[in-house]
Amino acid sequence: MTRAFWTLWKREAGAILLSPIAWVLLTCMALINGFSFSQCVAYLGQGVRELTVMQIYFYIFHFWFLLIILVPILTMRLFSEEYKTGTIEMLLTAPVRDGDVILSKFAGALSFYLLLWIPSLLGLAVFQVVTHQAVPVAWIPLGLSYLMVTLVGMLYLSIGLFTSVLSKNQAVSAMLSFTIIALLFFTGFLSYLVRDPGWREVLTYIFTLEQMRSFSAGQFDSRPVVFYLSGTIFFLCLTQRVMANRTLKG
Amino acid sequence: MIRVENLTKKYAGGEAVRGISFSVEKGEVVGFLGPNGAGKSTTMRILTGFLPATDGQIEVAGAKLPEESLLVRQRIGYMPENVPLYPEMRVEEFLEYRGRLKRVARKDITERVGLVLDQCGLSDVRKKIIGTLSKGFRQRVGLADALIHNPPLLILDEPTAGLDPHQIRSFRELIKDLGRDRTILLSTHILSEVEMVCRRAIIINRGKIEASDTLANLAKRVQSGALQIEVKADPVGAREKLVKLSEVGGVVELNRVGEWVSFEVTALPGKDIRGEVDSLIKREQWPLRDFRREKARLEDVFVELTQE
Repeated sequence: MTRAFWTLWKREAGAILLSPIAWVLLTCMALINGFSFSQCVAYLGQGVRELTVMQIYFYIFHFWFLLIILVPILTMRLFSEEYKTGTIEMLLTAPVRDGDVILSKFAGALSFYLLLWIPSLLGLAVFQVVTHQAVPVAWIPLGLSYLMVTLVGMLYLSIGLFTSVLSKNQAVSAMLSFTIIALLFFTGFLSYLVRDPGWREVLTYIFTLEQMRSFSAGQFDSRPVVFYLSGTIFFLCLTQRVMANRTLKG
Repeated sequence: MIRVENLTKKYAGGEAVRGISFSVEKGEVVGFLGPNGAGKSTTMRILTGFLPATDGQIEVAGAKLPEESLLVRQRIGYMPENVPLYPEMRVEEFLEYRGRLKRVARKDITERVGLVLDQCGLSDVRKKIIGTLSKGFRQRVGLADALIHNPPLLILDEPTAGLDPHQIRSFRELIKDLGRDRTILLSTHILSEVEMVCRRAIIINRGKIEASDTLANLAKRVQSGALQIEVKADPVGAREKLVKLSEVGGVVELNRVGEWVSFEVTALPGKDIRGEVDSLIKREQWPLRDFRREKARLEDVFVELTQE
């Protein structure tokens, strides 16, 4: 990584942490995560034995709802704001490569995104303490679950970054990325309805919820990893193309 | 320092710049003049590698655009119009950030930041958050940013726009100082600014270059510099005789004091009427107590070259 990348990343991460939206997001995440976690525990308290707390936690509706809403809010300002206030001109007339600018924005948003999931880890830690270690920590499912959260986050953030470079208007960017992410997420559910086995296989390939279920149960599958990584690279390249065309100037 | 040939920039709606060519030599301070919407900002954005040109050859600070864009950006200091800055950063922190982006060596950053803070009169506000600064200070931060990596070429897009008269004056002094040891291309539509700061001006209008010359030569192009005379004569008769002179474009009576009457006599473009008027006065034996020519101002040149 170049020096320019680190300089830009530092400023991106700083700008996110200095914006009120970051703290509102952190608070809301902690609240909703705590609420959803207590529900998981209450569910387990009813004598459910076939599922672990992690499987319930990462499968529950709140979790996905948060993920889909959160990313557009986090990414909408990344480029839109720079185009709107004109700082993009100052940024791109410094000797920095477009690639460094895009990657640093992506990495800055990803860093904050990962920070947002720390309260959920705390929830799991509290669970361990309260249950007096009755259940030993299942490190592999835990690691795989967070790997999945990271991979999904990477793809969604790259979509958000792409829509942010499309418009000067933050609301437009947010709505666009929300639409793409929601469509991508909900398309997976079609695999329940489609009868053709070929199509069903294609759909399970992008069915985030099912992939999460197997990862949180400790079953690793390389296909989703390839899917999310290649998707991320695809949207980052698309962002670069749009930026190179500079169609937004006026 | 800057060499532009046949530069064209087309937008979806039309042409912003139509095949212009000009050059700026090392050490020159050149004013880039034109009415609003003439293509000044577009040209500057192309020179800084921010916008791609549709056509033409461009060489800035010894590197070609767009092929060596990074090199060009490394060698120029650019201050965009309206000076966009990150409002949440502190002045010093912002300049350090920009210094690092512009590849100032790690060990030199603190020294360079201190130097440009001093140079731009920002030492007192170094710890302030940019969003809370007045327009004048923000403009200075923009200039400090352009200077942070000590570039040999400065490109300033309307650097004094929106400042109050005091700020404008001190800003001009600053630019004059900077012009001593570097090349500056500065755009503006304030003409007195060019007269004070620049040695040469390029006048652009509707995407085309109308003139590119030293200020003195530009003034020669339009001798609309009017002649003011005050004579003791019959106002109506004297006026008629003045109007009849072959190279006179117009005569306006300014005022009368007793028997004395004063006129402003304007010449046809490119003509010098001093001799003609003088011999008329001698022929008519009018007593004379004032005879002076207003120098053609840049404003006259500008208006003549850019009028519809």
